[in-house]
Amino acid sequence: MRTSVIPFGPQHPVLPEPLQLKLTVEDEVITEAVPALGYVHRGLEALAQNRDFHQMVQVTERVCGICSVLHAICYCQGLEDIMGITVPPRARYLRVIWGELLRLHSHLLWMGLFADSFGFESLFMQLWKIRERVLDIQEATTGNRVISGTIRVGGVSRDMDARQVHWIADQLTWVAHQVRQIEPVLREDFTIRRRTEGKGVLTSAQARELGAVGPVLRASGIAQDIRQTGYAAYGELDFEPVTATAGDCHARCMVRLGEIDQSIDLIHQALDRLPGGDIRSEVRGRPQGETLMRVEQPRGEVVYYIRADGGKTLSRVRIRTPTFANIPVLVKLLPGIFLSDVPVVVLSIDPCVSCLER
Amino acid sequence: MFKMTPQILRNLISGPATRAYPRQIRPPFPATRGRLVNDIAQCNFCGACAVKCPSVCIEVDRHLSRWSFAPHICVCCGVCVEICPRHCLRQEPATGPPAAQKEMVALDAKS
Amino acid sequence: MNHALIILGIGLVAGPLLGGLAGGLDRIVTARLQARTGPPVWQPYYDVIKLMAKELVVVNGWQAFCVYSYLFASMLALILFVMQSDLLLILFTQALGAVFLAMGALASTSPYSQVGAHRELLQILTYEPLLFLVGVGIFLETGSFKISVVMQWKDPLILKLPLLFAALGYVMIIKLRKSPFDLAASHHAHQELVRGVFTDFSGPLLGMIEIGHWYDTVLILGICSLFWATGPVPMAALAAAAYATIILIDNAAARLNWRWMLGHVWAMGLALALVNLICRHQG
Repeated sequence: MRTSVIPFGPQHPVLPEPLQLKLTVEDEVITEAVPALGYVHRGLEALAQNRDFHQMVQVTERVCGICSVLHAICYCQGLEDIMGITVPPRARYLRVIWGELLRLHSHLLWMGLFADSFGFESLFMQLWKIRERVLDIQEATTGNRVISGTIRVGGVSRDMDARQVHWIADQLTWVAHQVRQIEPVLREDFTIRRRTEGKGVLTSAQARELGAVGPVLRASGIAQDIRQTGYAAYGELDFEPVTATAGDCHARCMVRLGEIDQSIDLIHQALDRLPGGDIRSEVRGRPQGETLMRVEQPRGEVVYYIRADGGKTLSRVRIRTPTFANIPVLVKLLPGIFLSDVPVVVLSIDPCVSCLER
Repeated sequence: MFKMTPQILRNLISGPATRAYPRQIRPPFPATRGRLVNDIAQCNFCGACAVKCPSVCIEVDRHLSRWSFAPHICVCCGVCVEICPRHCLRQEPATGPPAAQKEMVALDAKS
Repeated sequence: MNHALIILGIGLVAGPLLGGLAGGLDRIVTARLQARTGPPVWQPYYDVIKLMAKELVVVNGWQAFCVYSYLFASMLALILFVMQSDLLLILFTQALGAVFLAMGALASTSPYSQVGAHRELLQILTYEPLLFLVGVGIFLETGSFKISVVMQWKDPLILKLPLLFAALGYVMIIKLRKSPFDLAASHHAHQELVRGVFTDFSGPLLGMIEIGHWYDTVLILGICSLFWATGPVPMAALAAAAYATIILIDNAAARLNWRWMLGHVWAMGLALALVNLICRHQG
């Protein structure tokens, strides 16, 4: 038996994230995986002590480039909870629209990287081509491609007119059409199934025990989605959590594929029912109290703990990101698989290390 | 394998979806938040933008009547534009050109 | 004497010229299949010129020796092909070159190179029997291993040996490092081994490997074109069609692992080749 240690990351072409995995390999079979973290720690939680609570919205948006809107929504909901602010219905619907657009582009991005992890470059390009249109919608409505910067405490800062609503619906029809064309490839292609089915299987009991979140949890057959708690306008929209039962990498891909359709459907619903009225309510005074807020991100459940002591700045903001919850799953899944399957399994949990390290 | 073949053949026929970037530039969306500009004639140097800026990229000196701004530190969030009492700040729909060095913009009131 | 020198020159020039051009066309066609514009057709030459201009950094002497040997073996194989020499000699010369490349990767201690070299050796193990059977098939059909005899043959071999040609397709995919068999080193380093066998080569040495790969490309396309050796036009057309098909397969498939490659290519490839040979010589 030839044992060697392969450093997988922090700078590795397959892994777009600065995560290091020290893989002990015996004849291309992994026997042990040790994650090493801390390459992109930026101290964003500590910034809460010298930025006021309005400025923190922009800071939380930059915890992660891909989940930006949802970080800001979670933080603002936390503060609105502490300060007892009622968000106008139109703002709640706009938050849903931007949140779901973000989920859409995040899942397309992930699927492209996933295709790249098993060496399917043309599929990667195809998926990113679709994603570009979603980014265009984000830019045209929020003003930025990725980090939208439209969420504010008490509401949102931008409105959309009827013409834009129509335009978004048209563009989304195109996106849905393209995704429908690519769907059979992801679902049935022989080489993809060969590389993903039965790889990194997580049973529902293991998923519960290890505290998996998001698509990883739902792919193991547990229908748990924080959007079911009905935050923002989700309580008024119709959707069911997408689940799969196999618990392998292919099932995780299928769950995300289902969530792409679900997101498009949710945006259409929100655009149809978009109520009129204000988009922002006034914020008076300073926050005092503490709260725990949960939001469903593309990668799973994010938890914000916010404590305010009545000052201009907050005394504590603690962020538990979905990747943090899924790292134990990853460490559990890696031993026993082949080296060639490592990128597939690592990407199947959709690691976002800049989220994780804040 | 055969599921992907129609896709890639369609790509071959319909031509590239990418743009030859420096020669062909997509016009920016009107809503795009790009580079910050200050109509200095209207500015009263109240300093509200400097206080509210999350990335601390604006400095206002009331005595010198000087408004200075670091475009490469700006995160284009648009908070300053929203709170400006004189409405003299606005954002162009395009970001500034790339630069080799971080620049500073300093605007003085016409005396 | 003069005639031999001219042929030698053709062999030396054909590799970089045709191989680089094939590489450039490959990149453009691949880009178009992926809805991109792609680089200019001369991009492979620019890449190699840039690599050649870089500082020479060698891990150890063996590495450099192996790269020179690989390049020399690949050149020699193509020159022997252009001289219409013995097919078996050509096959063994190019196999020697391929093994030298794997040895060069094994000369460094990086785990990426080591695993990549291991996979490269497995790939050689996978395609060599098929390539040998192709030679045997041509021998059984024409009665000679000499390419000069094959070139004189009036009927296209592909009509008699279609399944053997399909088996050669597997060899070409592996040899040209295309999906689903780009295991040892994918073209763009997006795999778990970074760039597999090539990870520890850099600068001029990597440029030489690239040139060696051009010679290999021309050689394998040349062997492929022997299946319709009735004239230069059908030869070129067959090679171009085979190359285009391989690019299409590259873009329509994910990378698979070596266990599957070994099992599938041996089972399918050997079955195709043997069925074809048995049918020809029993019936």
